[in-house]
Amino acid sequence: MRFDGVFFRYGRRAAWTLREVTRGIEAGQTVVVLGRNGAGKSTLLQLAAGVLRPSRGAVLDRPAIVGWVPERFPADQPFTAGDYLHRMASLRGRDASEADAWIERLLLTEHTGTRLSDLSKGTAQKVGLAQALIARPGLLILDEPWEGLDSIARTLIPEIVAEVTAGGGMVLVSDHRGEVGGLADAIYWQVADALVSEASAPVPALPDEVIIEVKVRRAESPRVVAGLQAEGHQILEVRDVAAAQPHQARPGPGLTITPGASSGREAGGSS
Amino acid sequence: MRVAQPERLRGMTSLVRMRLAGFLRGGRILAPAIAVLVVLGIIYGGGPSPAAVAYGYSAAALFPVLAWQSKLLLDTEPDTQRRLAGVAVGGRREAVAGLLAAGLLALLVCALAMGAPWLFNGIDTGRAVVSGTLLGVLAHLLAVPPAVALGALASRAVTGGVRNGIAVLVTSAVLVVVLGLEGSIAPWLVPPVMATARALNDVGTPPAATLALLVVWAVLWGGVALGAYARLRRTRT
Repeated sequence: MRFDGVFFRYGRRAAWTLREVTRGIEAGQTVVVLGRNGAGKSTLLQLAAGVLRPSRGAVLDRPAIVGWVPERFPADQPFTAGDYLHRMASLRGRDASEADAWIERLLLTEHTGTRLSDLSKGTAQKVGLAQALIARPGLLILDEPWEGLDSIARTLIPEIVAEVTAGGGMVLVSDHRGEVGGLADAIYWQVADALVSEASAPVPALPDEVIIEVKVRRAESPRVVAGLQAEGHQILEVRDVAAAQPHQARPGPGLTITPGASSGREAGGSS
Repeated sequence: MRVAQPERLRGMTSLVRMRLAGFLRGGRILAPAIAVLVVLGIIYGGGPSPAAVAYGYSAAALFPVLAWQSKLLLDTEPDTQRRLAGVAVGGRREAVAGLLAAGLLALLVCALAMGAPWLFNGIDTGRAVVSGTLLGVLAHLLAVPPAVALGALASRAVTGGVRNGIAVLVTSAVLVVVLGLEGSIAPWLVPPVMATARALNDVGTPPAATLALLVVWAVLWGGVALGAYARLRRTRT
């Protein structure tokens, strides 16, 4: 897909929001759009989705099926989450079962009977994500998808992005807080002063994370690893206890937790 | 285009259903429904009248209500949902689905408005009932496309805000009456709503030439207004 000399402004007398954007996205590529609030990221994404029309220039070779996740899901509608997603599937000419698959995967099952306007912001955002994915888009557009999502959903997004690109689809993601760490092989565009330029991957702000070393019984290790991953933690290494233990000599930023200390902490947390 | 046409058409009918459901469930239909009842009460409150005359007035009086109702229906959906629908079914089909939903609802209201007087002895069953009823059906059918087109031109997707939308709707509704009066300087600027009511008010069946003129006039006006809507929807998002 290509932006071919795209100019855009919101009114005839308004200043240009975007000027002379000429960029391409290849099949299987992920593009992360960076820029501060109000720089024009959403506008660029809506031009890509076909929601906005360029004032000049054109967006060429857009895939037939586009999934757009707006920055804010329009929750002011008299439908339940389940009814809404079934109707959106039907709009795409798809069966309700295809919506159900995404309802299950995005952990929306318990919310299907809830009215859209009664959903929490994060859950409404997941409904917005589901409606975009039902039709298996060739172009997936995510406008600040991390906003308001819980940690489980956050880990799902890189997975979903990888699935779309693996199938030859393109993904366009905007991100103003630099939370994109998890997207593999992404290229970066920077929107500033109405211009879109190629950018290098943002230097991630030093994450506020610690390393915990935990000793578990071998038989339980797959379950523990899976459980920690499901909670959104990153497993750095699984090794035999017999292997060298270099950490004794280097306290550093790493934090070592023995099973005893760990269980003591849990007991303290739950009391 | 990789997506099969039948799928796209199915998507459009689903969108028509979704918009009708949203309008009915959200309770926004209540205000125009009350307006329809008031109109019917005024027209048929005075006892039975000949079918053609009563239905001619009914179509003219319902015209602004149908236009308002069409605007309300098209404005029910949040702007972002309208855009999502456009991404899902395509921009043109999204606009057509809105017009179809508004048109279907307007036809339903017309059918109810034509059926209701029979329950309350509002139609004089003595004279020319069949021809009068058929003329009434024609009058209502001629009112629907211009009313839907006017409602669409007043909708938020075109006018941008509530104030502009209401201004367009009220001004046009007044012009339809004023420019529709007998001896008007530019009757063709507005749909033939008043002209139809007048034709049906005359004694005897109006001549075929008059009816043909009214049909052509209504179709042309509706076509021009719908064309303007299509053009404005393409340029405004």
